[in-house]
Amino acid sequence: MEIQLDVSMLEPCEPLEQTLEAIKQLNPGDYLRVLHRREPHLLYPLLEKSGFLWRCRDDSSGGYEIFIWKTDDVAAALDVDSATS
Amino acid sequence: MLNTANLSLDQAPPISIPFRFFLTAPLFGLAAAGMLLINGPDLFLTRWSPMTLGLTHMLTLGMLAMVMCGALLQMLPVLAGSPVPKVVAVGSICHLMITLGTVMLVFAFLSGSAIGDAVALGMLGGGIILFFVAVMIALWRVKSVSATVVAIRLAVVSLLITLLLGLLLGSGILGTMGFGDIASLVDVHLGWGIFGWIGLLLIGISYQVVPMFQVTPEYPSRLRRLLAPALFIGMLIWTALVLGEIFGALNEIVPRIWMFFLLSGFVIYAVVTVRLQLQRKRRIPDITMMFWRTGMLFVPVCALVWVAGNLSPGIGYNPHYNLLLGVSLLLGVGVSVINGMLYKIVPFLSWFHLQNRQMGLMCMTVKVPNMKEFISDKAARLQFRLFLLALLSALLATLRPDWFAHLAGLFFFASNALLLKNLLVAMLRYRETNRALLAYAESVRVPDGDVD
Repeated sequence: MEIQLDVSMLEPCEPLEQTLEAIKQLNPGDYLRVLHRREPHLLYPLLEKSGFLWRCRDDSSGGYEIFIWKTDDVAAALDVDSATS
Repeated sequence: MLNTANLSLDQAPPISIPFRFFLTAPLFGLAAAGMLLINGPDLFLTRWSPMTLGLTHMLTLGMLAMVMCGALLQMLPVLAGSPVPKVVAVGSICHLMITLGTVMLVFAFLSGSAIGDAVALGMLGGGIILFFVAVMIALWRVKSVSATVVAIRLAVVSLLITLLLGLLLGSGILGTMGFGDIASLVDVHLGWGIFGWIGLLLIGISYQVVPMFQVTPEYPSRLRRLLAPALFIGMLIWTALVLGEIFGALNEIVPRIWMFFLLSGFVIYAVVTVRLQLQRKRRIPDITMMFWRTGMLFVPVCALVWVAGNLSPGIGYNPHYNLLLGVSLLLGVGVSVINGMLYKIVPFLSWFHLQNRQMGLMCMTVKVPNMKEFISDKAARLQFRLFLLALLSALLATLRPDWFAHLAGLFFFASNALLLKNLLVAMLRYRETNRALLAYAESVRVPDGDVD
């Protein structure tokens, strides 16, 4: 299931804080779709350390969409594939 | 765009390196306020008095350059994707030499000691040249050269020019060569320091931090690309024109007219910044933004004061004019902006270092404070108000020193004491949480090589 989080109007480091909080709530099969106005490079090493994978793409309005799922969650990875293809 | 694709804390210096610069700045602020409290109106007689020169360098080197150098050492991996080589050694030595050099320079101004002057110039020269070389190596290695990187490069070159002119003026070589027109060269020295080093760095950093931290739209791309190089070339031409005036080849009006164009460039930058801030997507009041807005409002104020002084000889030759311009530039623009930046950089660095360690340990039992918990809004707001009172009193002191000089000292002392306390509280919170995380690491025997 997709969980959406819009952090595009927040100032640092609230987007990071809220994203890290949100990934803790993910159930098996869930992935997080974060809407951001910048690509959150600082988030990536933290995701890596916590055992999550991500995929980032530009959205149509000049912002970014970041899809995040647990490394070993195959179902969530497949859902991200279909959502981003 | 921040170039942080491969950012890792291994690239950045330990947090103690930038923090030592940031904590030293309010100490110089306190010392400057102490001078104001003790000497009061005597500091507002003329910009040329040794005491006033000492106070000026306490602000420019002790506060402004101190924070700017510390922030650059920390931020280059983030802003430019290129770490400063040997950053721990470079940071420690630069901090020590710039701090001691500034103390000795002020002592030399106050005492007239030739030995003190020589020691000060040696230390400042060594510290700033080491900083210049290390930062330039990092800037040279940058792969993706953004408008911010260009502006930082030009700002750091301006710092070197400011230093070389300062060494030339401070060493007395010009006097022994029979060179008489020192005043114009002092203007070139401070022009490079204020417009080149402080101004261009501020412009380059703004391109990143205003949209990111203040949640505004981006600066227009043409302005980003052209403004800093145009201003730097403008400074070079202005320097040539001043030299032409010194050697009698040009009328003094020529460099002044040219300076008007340079000031217009800075006014455009300030107006665009305020316009972006007015388009903020999030309307929650923010202390950093209030400090920045104060700084940006003082850019056109300084330009207007300068224009008035140059159009009216009655104003231009009045000693109050230069002091008013100096207070507006150094306190109104410079200290406003760096004070505001400290309220973002210090909590952000503290939070990011701790968050990184917490994630590395997978430790969920130790809570990392969020940015607002490192420095409370209430404490920062009170400090902002004290700073505004200090600024207002200092501006009034340029006109009525006997009434307002001591008051300016009192408010500036209170403002810096509170800034120091706010920064110390943030650092203590960092240390407390860091200690808890290290204790957790010890208890689960997780190897941890990232200890500050």
